[in-house]
Amino acid sequence: MSSSGYGQKEKVLSRIAANRLQKELTEWQVNPPCGFRHRVTDSLQRWIIEVHGAPNTLYEGEEFHLQVDFPEHYPMEAPQVVFMQIPPLHPHIYSNGHICLDILYDSWSPAMTVSSICISILSMLSSSTVKARPPDDDQYVRNCRNGRSPKETRWWFHDDKV
Amino acid sequence: MNVTENVTEPGGEQDRPRDDEIQAFHNRIRAADADKLELVGDKEPLSVLEEEYKAGSPVFLAKLLILKQSYGAIRRARGDGNCFFRSFMFSYLEHLLVIQDEAEVARMEKAIEICKKTLIDLGQAEFTFEDYLAIFVEQLHGVIQGKETSTSLETLVERCRDQYVSNCVVMFFRFVTSGEIRRRSEFFEPFIQGMSNMSVVQFCRSCVEPMGEESDHVHIIALSDALGVPVRVVYLDQSGDMNDKPVTVNKHDFIPEGMNTAVDPDVILLYRPGHYDILYRRGNSGNVKHTSLEESNVEHF
Repeated sequence: MSSSGYGQKEKVLSRIAANRLQKELTEWQVNPPCGFRHRVTDSLQRWIIEVHGAPNTLYEGEEFHLQVDFPEHYPMEAPQVVFMQIPPLHPHIYSNGHICLDILYDSWSPAMTVSSICISILSMLSSSTVKARPPDDDQYVRNCRNGRSPKETRWWFHDDKV
Repeated sequence: MNVTENVTEPGGEQDRPRDDEIQAFHNRIRAADADKLELVGDKEPLSVLEEEYKAGSPVFLAKLLILKQSYGAIRRARGDGNCFFRSFMFSYLEHLLVIQDEAEVARMEKAIEICKKTLIDLGQAEFTFEDYLAIFVEQLHGVIQGKETSTSLETLVERCRDQYVSNCVVMFFRFVTSGEIRRRSEFFEPFIQGMSNMSVVQFCRSCVEPMGEESDHVHIIALSDALGVPVRVVYLDQSGDMNDKPVTVNKHDFIPEGMNTAVDPDVILLYRPGHYDILYRRGNSGNVKHTSLEESNVEHF
């Protein structure tokens, strides 16, 4: 069930992955998801995305940064998506930036895109009623201290509504 | 032939594994299987299953005897959750290659165009599926001989074993299945609600589109309808009781909308709890009579 992939971070993008990402980037430039901005870098394999908390939600006016790393066999394999610096205070977001969201792991599908991931993350933030870390934050973050990817975690998805 | 006479085992309730136990067993071997089995195996005589089940339940063995009257061989698909789609791919393409049905290739191309339009109408970005579609079309054209790009049966086997090609075609079928379910969501909703408490869209997102998600009737109906390909599923399961009456083998023909229900599907799959493989009719004839013990169950949608 786990989807750790084959040492994805070290491998360069396959031709198919690079083609697909080029198409996603073009589509993003024409039609970016509302509340997000792609920071232009010279890397197709790592995207840095600004996230703006939606108006009338707990995160209004706040800005966060997502780091999206694409594996060699994207989109057959899920990208790795984490919050950088200070992640939003949310019951499904750990203080090391890891996000507990099924579509990033077991439920990933090539039918999804970076843009659809962004929309899911914003919707997760917007529906939150409490600004808090997950109850097991300390323990989880301690276990990840060796730099483990969130894709190596065996996630247990409690509730996708919070 | 009355199969019950050949079997002395009484088959009481305690002797037989329950379906959930079989499922648990399949889950355990699935991980181990994945590394040693090809995505699509070699064609093997049906008798290999006798060997596999000889220590197993008498119901299975009785059903195997019946199966052998109509079917001669099996080709396994790896138990990685994609076995239905992968078996469908190979069985369909192999049959086309054998009979060289150019009209069917042309019909399939039209069906694919409609599937593409369905997905676009549903708001699916074309770039997410166009590569998978192209790879399936490439395999489809390859089966017709006499061109530079033609594929032999050996090449077809190789392609279906190649992780990249094979998974791309599986993924294309997952897109098509999801598109068909969402296009006819009122039709599929009751089936989906009977299995889960998910909405049609959630079901497609969680149980159809991700690779490795297993297939159920809903997937088979949707893919068969969308591509216009009839599919027969023959069930080798624990249903039926040795004491009761002669054991029967259930089969189910999935016939696409608008097609004559008397049609004999060329894509034939063997279902064992949690898994699909490819089944072959006996001999070369595509027209083997059904035995009276093979319970026919045609469903028309």
